[in-house]
Amino acid sequence: MTVITNENKSSHLMTNDMHSTTMRSSWQLVKRGLINTRRLPSAFFPTLAMPIFNMVSFSGTFFALTKLPGFPTDRSVNWFMPLGLAMGSAFSGVGLGFSLIRDLENGFYDRLRMSPTSRLSLIVGPVIATWIRVTLVTIIVFGAGTMLGARPTAGVLSYLCSWIAAIGISTIGAGWCIGLAFRFQDMRGAAIMQLSIFLTMFLSTAQVPMSAMTGWLHTVARINPITNIFRLSRSGWVNASDPGHMSWSNAYGGLIALVILSALTLIFALRSLKKIDN
Amino acid sequence: MSNTVVTPDALVHRSTSAAVRQTLALAKRSTLELFRQPALVIPNLIFPLFFAFLGNSSFGKTTSLPGFPKVNSYLQFQLAGTITQGVLFGSVTGAAALATDIENGFFDRLLAAPTSRISILFGRIAGSTLFGALGSAVFILVLLPFGADVSAGLPGIVAMIVSGGLIALAVGALMAWVAIKTGSSEAVQGTFPLLFILLFFSSAFFPRETMTGVYKTIAGLNPISHLVEGLRALSLDGFTASATARAILVPLAIAIVALFIANRQLQTRLRAN
Repeated sequence: MTVITNENKSSHLMTNDMHSTTMRSSWQLVKRGLINTRRLPSAFFPTLAMPIFNMVSFSGTFFALTKLPGFPTDRSVNWFMPLGLAMGSAFSGVGLGFSLIRDLENGFYDRLRMSPTSRLSLIVGPVIATWIRVTLVTIIVFGAGTMLGARPTAGVLSYLCSWIAAIGISTIGAGWCIGLAFRFQDMRGAAIMQLSIFLTMFLSTAQVPMSAMTGWLHTVARINPITNIFRLSRSGWVNASDPGHMSWSNAYGGLIALVILSALTLIFALRSLKKIDN
Repeated sequence: MSNTVVTPDALVHRSTSAAVRQTLALAKRSTLELFRQPALVIPNLIFPLFFAFLGNSSFGKTTSLPGFPKVNSYLQFQLAGTITQGVLFGSVTGAAALATDIENGFFDRLLAAPTSRISILFGRIAGSTLFGALGSAVFILVLLPFGADVSAGLPGIVAMIVSGGLIALAVGALMAWVAIKTGSSEAVQGTFPLLFILLFFSSAFFPRETMTGVYKTIAGLNPISHLVEGLRALSLDGFTASATARAILVPLAIAIVALFIANRQLQTRLRAN
């Protein structure tokens, strides 16, 4: 009986040790990611430039879209700022995939795998670092959007929903790109990362609402879960009279899509990592 | 043993014909190089077509907005933008290959050989020009059945293909200038975002008449807008003298200036060597 208790204690201690190792290792990898951002701003710059460029160019070029009957907002920047944020967040995942490929190619990752670190931390750490970077980008994009004339229609909740969507998309992007990086282990994976994310984003309501779409895109966007995420992200930026305005019914679909896609892509990343170990 | 007297005229004639032969040989090389690496070329065809079909479904209802030209479908409006987009991206690929030649020493071997200097530049750009013209033909043929009508008919299609080739020549020469100046394929690829920005701040996807304020001014100043609108005139206005002149003369003028700049850069590099 005593032995069993000791075994239980020992197993409990081991679990605790494992958790604390995971946390410690994750934190070190978060720190490494953030230090890299500070020391290599050129690597971070595209993640920041992309959403701002998207927002500015789309708002100006496609300004006339707001004149379409039933368009959800009369400010084009209100419509395209969440698109810019989503693209920036997704591509921060691609950036993570790229740096992972570099680590795999130059042998740094092998050293990580040989060290007594928890496997989970190799995924959790970089994902948390991505969240921090995406939050920074989101704040800058909100500032730039405000200067360009973006105005929230649901107060603080407008910013909160867009930020949640950005964090969720970055998690999905990170999980997917980490998984692909582990599978390919070289730059072949990079092209698939960019292409798949680009296609998934644009085959949704990224550019125009469902009511403005015609033909095949309407069908594809309707079943694309990214459409729900855009609905969540934009719910605080469309006119208060629009059916897509901030409400639980416009939010829960996006939240469910974020949770399910994040879980699936992170599982994909974990399974791909195990495949390397095996 | 007979002494042959070679006159200066004959020497010039011989060197000119040699330069033409060498240009053709290098043009063949650069063209084959593009066709033998489909992974480099196919995205330049697929992406513009994807954007065209995406735009047609996304912006199909916008053609009735005030300021939008009279068109049968958004694809008819978009055709010129699609050609320009494909040609721009293809030209980056061509110029990156020139930079790779410099990086891997092939350029120096050409300089060491009795090769005409000008053929090194023109031979490389010729590949991009041909690819631009062929790409334009592919875009027209693929989009035509889906509603991208060309009002100018067959002569208009031929003029659009020629215009596509000239745009490729103009952009290819500008990119070649970057390649010769930097000698780095990474630097050439680095111009890609710049072209992307120029494309989105032009009238490639939406007419200038629907834009307002500073965006309209930028699109008006942007040379890409003028390249696209020249092509678009053939697609929308029919085969008129002014439409043909815009489609051919605007890229031709830019190409002449760009070739002059690229050639000067080549001479500077040769002097430095």
